[in-house]
Amino acid sequence: MMNTQKPLFLIIDDEQSLRDGCEQTLEKSGYRVLTAAEGVEGIKIAREGKPDVAFIDLKMPGISGMVVIETLSKDIPDTVLIVITGYATVASAVEATQKGAFDYLPKPFSPDELRAVARRALNHRNLKIETRRLREEKEQMEKGFITFVSHEMRSPLVVIRQYIESLKAITGNRFNKEVADIIGRCSICIQRLERLIEHWLDLSRIENGTFAQKQETLSLSHIIAKCAEEMAPLCEKTAISLEITVPKDQLTIVGDEESLVRVFTNIISNATKYTPPGGKISVSATDDECYVVVSISDTGIGIPHDKIPFIFDPFFRVKGREERHRGSGLGLTYCKKIMDSHCGMICATSKEGEGTTFVLKFPTHFSSTGTASPTPPEIDSYAKLIKDS
Amino acid sequence: MSAKQKILVIDDDKDFLYATRVILETGGYEVFLAENGKTGVEMCKSVTPDLAIIDMMMETWGEGFSVLSKIRATETGKDTPLFILTAVDLQGPYQSFGPPADFPKVNMVLHKPVKADDLLRYVAEAIGHK
Repeated sequence: MMNTQKPLFLIIDDEQSLRDGCEQTLEKSGYRVLTAAEGVEGIKIAREGKPDVAFIDLKMPGISGMVVIETLSKDIPDTVLIVITGYATVASAVEATQKGAFDYLPKPFSPDELRAVARRALNHRNLKIETRRLREEKEQMEKGFITFVSHEMRSPLVVIRQYIESLKAITGNRFNKEVADIIGRCSICIQRLERLIEHWLDLSRIENGTFAQKQETLSLSHIIAKCAEEMAPLCEKTAISLEITVPKDQLTIVGDEESLVRVFTNIISNATKYTPPGGKISVSATDDECYVVVSISDTGIGIPHDKIPFIFDPFFRVKGREERHRGSGLGLTYCKKIMDSHCGMICATSKEGEGTTFVLKFPTHFSSTGTASPTPPEIDSYAKLIKDS
Repeated sequence: MSAKQKILVIDDDKDFLYATRVILETGGYEVFLAENGKTGVEMCKSVTPDLAIIDMMMETWGEGFSVLSKIRATETGKDTPLFILTAVDLQGPYQSFGPPADFPKVNMVLHKPVKADDLLRYVAEAIGHK
């Protein structure tokens, strides 16, 4: 952050000699300086002038420095506040820091000490402003990019697919098989690209918090049954048996049905890709007072042990795999994010040549205890306290 | 031999119009195209199509809806089978914000892109096929 103007300081202290001394020192360093002899006047000047840094004496007639700090840290949070104190007790410094001061300067201090603290305060302010600016910029870019992708990239894809559909309609059975084949392949590629964009958008929305998820009391038994129904044709087609061992109407959790259905269908359809015909996919579930645990096992080719830590990463693929149906590469990443948003866990164990098991763990929901709270405990004040120790 | 059945397609996306026309023509229908809502409503009166397909996501938000209401309000269009087109979930699937109770009657909701076979089948189901 480049300020074209010289940095502005404010000294709030009842001692005339101290104000004068500070003013001279700081002006000599090329800064502009305002002064106030007591708290109320200081607050007024600070609000108007919005100094970069304010030095505030703790002990003054009228309102105390602590009150000034508390007020200014709320009113003008960009101004860095430094406590000047004759009683350099740790307790008062800690209290001032908790109320929003960045540092403290014990009396008496030398001009060099003053300049050093002033420089540090200015740096801190610049970093603070820069950080905020970058964060805002990043959020803005992410939002803009999501909008860009969802509109500008999807619309032409939709049109291309529609054109391919019309090509199919025109050619019908009249053209030779080769032409029809090529059209078919194009169609599949476009659909894959569309799905990739769709999944990528979902992930971005989950990340920036705009992915609409409901918080409903749900029965996982019901969700698993629904998925089993949905996946049955695919399993039949690939000659894989799907076995569901799940208690009826139990396994109560809180979450979003639509995204959970996608989590389960994702994992089951993954299993069908890596399980040879004649194999089996089993889904079982149990619950106790703390967790609902669902396992989905297949008798497939398995995942090499050293690759397991990466399978939830975007676009990760186990090399050398012949895949019958390539996915977007984001399916398991989606599952992981959805599980995170449900305060749950997902992990995999696998043995090459024998099969893979995915275990999904959800916090059990009890109607009497209310929903599990994903909010982390208050750490704000503690973080402030330790940040510059 | 009777005249071909007429289908009016209203969408501000020229490519989509063109592609849809090709599909519908292979199905043996006579196809009329309107590139904006105003023309669409006028053509609906002058052409009196057997079926109209209206894009809900035209340039101005709500244009599709207003076209739908206007067609439904005319004598010629009050019973015409109407299909609406939506882009696949811009924010969650269509079902999650189901149409309000006083929404004009829609015979079918189609998601873009529409498969050629599906489109022809839905049309045939709605108005038969000659």
